[in-house]
Amino acid sequence: MSPIKLLERLIQLGFVLFGISLIVFLMMEATPGDPVEIMLGDSLASAEQKELLRRDMGLDRPLVARYLHFVGNALGGEFGQSFFHRRPVADLILERLPATIELTLVAMVVAVAVAIPLGIIAAVHRGGLLDRLASVGAMLGVSMPGFWFGILLIMLFAVRLHLLPVAGRIGYSHEVPAVTGLLLVDSLIALQPASFLAALGHLVLPAVTLGLAMAAILMRVTRTAMLEVLSQDYMTFAEAKGLSRRRILVRHGLKNALIPTVTVAAIETGSLLGGNMIVETIFAWPGLGRLVVEAIFARNYPVVQACVLFYAVTYVLLNFVADVLYTVLNPKVRL
Amino acid sequence: MLLGRLLVPAAAALAVAAGAVAATGTAAQELRIGYSADVPTLDPGNHRNRFAEGVILNIHDALVARTDDMAVVDELIEGWTQIDALTYEARLRRGVRFHSGDEMTAEDVKFTFDRLTKEGFMGGQTSPRKSLLGPLADTEIVDPHTVRFHLSAPWPILRAYLPFQQIVSKRFVEATGTEGMATHTNGTGPFRLVEWRRGEAIILERFDDYYGGAPDLPPVGPAGVERVIFRIIPESASRVAALLAGEVDIIDNLPVTDIPVVEANPATRVMTTNGTRSFFVDLNNAVPPFNDVRVRQAANMAIDRDLIVERVLGGLAVPLNGLISPQSYGYNADLPPWSYDPDRVRALLGEAGFPDGVDVTLDVDPANRENAEAVAAMLTQNGIRTTVQVWELNVMDATWREENAAGRNMRYRSWGDGALDPVGIFDPVLRTGGRGNFSRYSNAEVDALLAAAESETDVARRSRMYQDAQAIVREEAPLLFLWLPRDIYGVSARLSGWRPSPRGVIKIHDARVD
Repeated sequence: MSPIKLLERLIQLGFVLFGISLIVFLMMEATPGDPVEIMLGDSLASAEQKELLRRDMGLDRPLVARYLHFVGNALGGEFGQSFFHRRPVADLILERLPATIELTLVAMVVAVAVAIPLGIIAAVHRGGLLDRLASVGAMLGVSMPGFWFGILLIMLFAVRLHLLPVAGRIGYSHEVPAVTGLLLVDSLIALQPASFLAALGHLVLPAVTLGLAMAAILMRVTRTAMLEVLSQDYMTFAEAKGLSRRRILVRHGLKNALIPTVTVAAIETGSLLGGNMIVETIFAWPGLGRLVVEAIFARNYPVVQACVLFYAVTYVLLNFVADVLYTVLNPKVRL
Repeated sequence: MLLGRLLVPAAAALAVAAGAVAATGTAAQELRIGYSADVPTLDPGNHRNRFAEGVILNIHDALVARTDDMAVVDELIEGWTQIDALTYEARLRRGVRFHSGDEMTAEDVKFTFDRLTKEGFMGGQTSPRKSLLGPLADTEIVDPHTVRFHLSAPWPILRAYLPFQQIVSKRFVEATGTEGMATHTNGTGPFRLVEWRRGEAIILERFDDYYGGAPDLPPVGPAGVERVIFRIIPESASRVAALLAGEVDIIDNLPVTDIPVVEANPATRVMTTNGTRSFFVDLNNAVPPFNDVRVRQAANMAIDRDLIVERVLGGLAVPLNGLISPQSYGYNADLPPWSYDPDRVRALLGEAGFPDGVDVTLDVDPANRENAEAVAAMLTQNGIRTTVQVWELNVMDATWREENAAGRNMRYRSWGDGALDPVGIFDPVLRTGGRGNFSRYSNAEVDALLAAAESETDVARRSRMYQDAQAIVREEAPLLFLWLPRDIYGVSARLSGWRPSPRGVIKIHDARVD
């Protein structure tokens, strides 16, 4: 990607982010009722607190001034106070973020680990039994709602077979010193293999539930890409050279087929964040998704506002990364 | 081949992890609770949240406690005297220690109540619990083990409201600060806080130097279990699964639909108690058709409460003929129930000038939609043709706050009152201009009775006043009275000594696990 093109994309990105901030800001403005009452949600506040908040929100100032104030605060990581928790919103989000990142990353790994081998096998055995099974599986994976599939897994692996825990992030006898906030990493840093395994065990069901839909999509993408690659002349040429089939598939096939898969994976990671709300609620996972759901139920608008902004920005950035990644991996493509 | 190379090690790793997790059984003497929501704070003075109260009550004790039949007994005090209409004296129990080891004195008690009642006492903020202490104006230290409460107006129910205020340590709060109090605790209760993993769990351990609790609430002594874990599991299907899998011993908010599963499992059972939240429908008394008492009475007779309770609520609710719980102080048990009477409904509607029935709307928020629809269906069947309108709660609230509720007809609603005293529910909902009076009901006689009851110090006379007010309201039918749901818990068979509290909180002191 040429520097000018990159700059162009960055400017576009700026506009998108501006639009997002505007929408999130107006979301609050457009909600009927007294903004102060809305901000306070179901929490009880004294008259002084309401007055203080009214002043802080600058409700007497014009809309544009308030918007600039909001953006300025947001850029500085200042999202106001959650009156329900009586703590700053930024603290609440930071506290919940590591759990969500850990779950998302593991779900992504699960999805990739399942999707790529299956996609390749389906392509290589095109039309065969394995291909058809994989296609049906992908269809199921995409169409099964997460809340249903999650409960199903819990009933089977936790209630019936007693193999895995129903919910939670780690057993309560484990004390893992926080370094990164990711329990898998922290338990390794602290050399606590038992804690690592406990954390991993708690991750299995939520990560599989969360990663399932992504795995299905990635599988289809890999299969299609692989089919296209398999029909290329260089593959026939490689075969003609007498290279082993495995070498052909991995060195010449997979390398090229992975380009669309990687970009789709980057974009899909954004949608994993949306899936988090459901999966985190089912598995009692103490992450951001659940914070949002709880905030919505408690009408805790400052938290909802900050989280929506966070999700939107993350999604847009991931899309940007996917675009860039695509050009890097495939020099033939120009943005 | 490739698939095998990738998947076999992954599967092996998962199997090992699974084995490790499954092997971690419940430690001895550890009680786990599947709790449907995380707590916003652990500061006893800075919340109005039932989930927070449920945890805080196990860490902190109060001056007095409530028995299951709602009698008030001494907890951190040994004696209670009324000096005059505006002054009460409490003698504190000696030798009570906070978890820090400090002894509880009158200083701490005064500090606790100052923190709750004085404007701006919590770092400029006023406690949201202030209104729970009515006209309490000041707390005075008489000697290190005696305090006096001074009221600005007679308020005979002061003692009945003290179980809701837990005593904190002055030294600790001053050192910790208001913000720190959200996450740090130092109480006199049977359990101390070990760790609050936010969004995930609250871990408590037994306080071995516990003074024992209220003598009139046996067993007295340290708590029955060593460790308690409130596990936050918001999704009810997962909470039920955790109970069935043996991961927790008590779950709250068991859905009616899951009762058969829990009952069918030999290792689990269901426990229930009457709740504290009354459900009703606001009838807009300010505009037609419900400005006519005959239409309001007709609405009350157009509902077969027993049928809805049986079919929709799984039999787990008590039909109400008024606003307050039958368990409540001042409940009038002599008033007849509103029985289902379609003929009488038709006659009353005819008298009121609606021989062909009447068209009305019923407002409801999404959470209560299903039950509101059941009510609407029965009203419609009997000539009160009801359209259900689902609102966002905020918008609905704002609309009903407008002049004459913006001419809306009905609203499905509830009001909770953990104190089970009419002053906490009857007064706000039915007094003229009350903060929860959205039906615009106004009756001078009722208002006079409620005003008199507020300062009546004779318990029996005060009860009589509320009963008289209920008799008037029974006839005037300002609301469409519905029911009081039971609180439903799922518990494991290894749990003993625990009973659900009618206050809707989980107290663990008496619980034991085998």
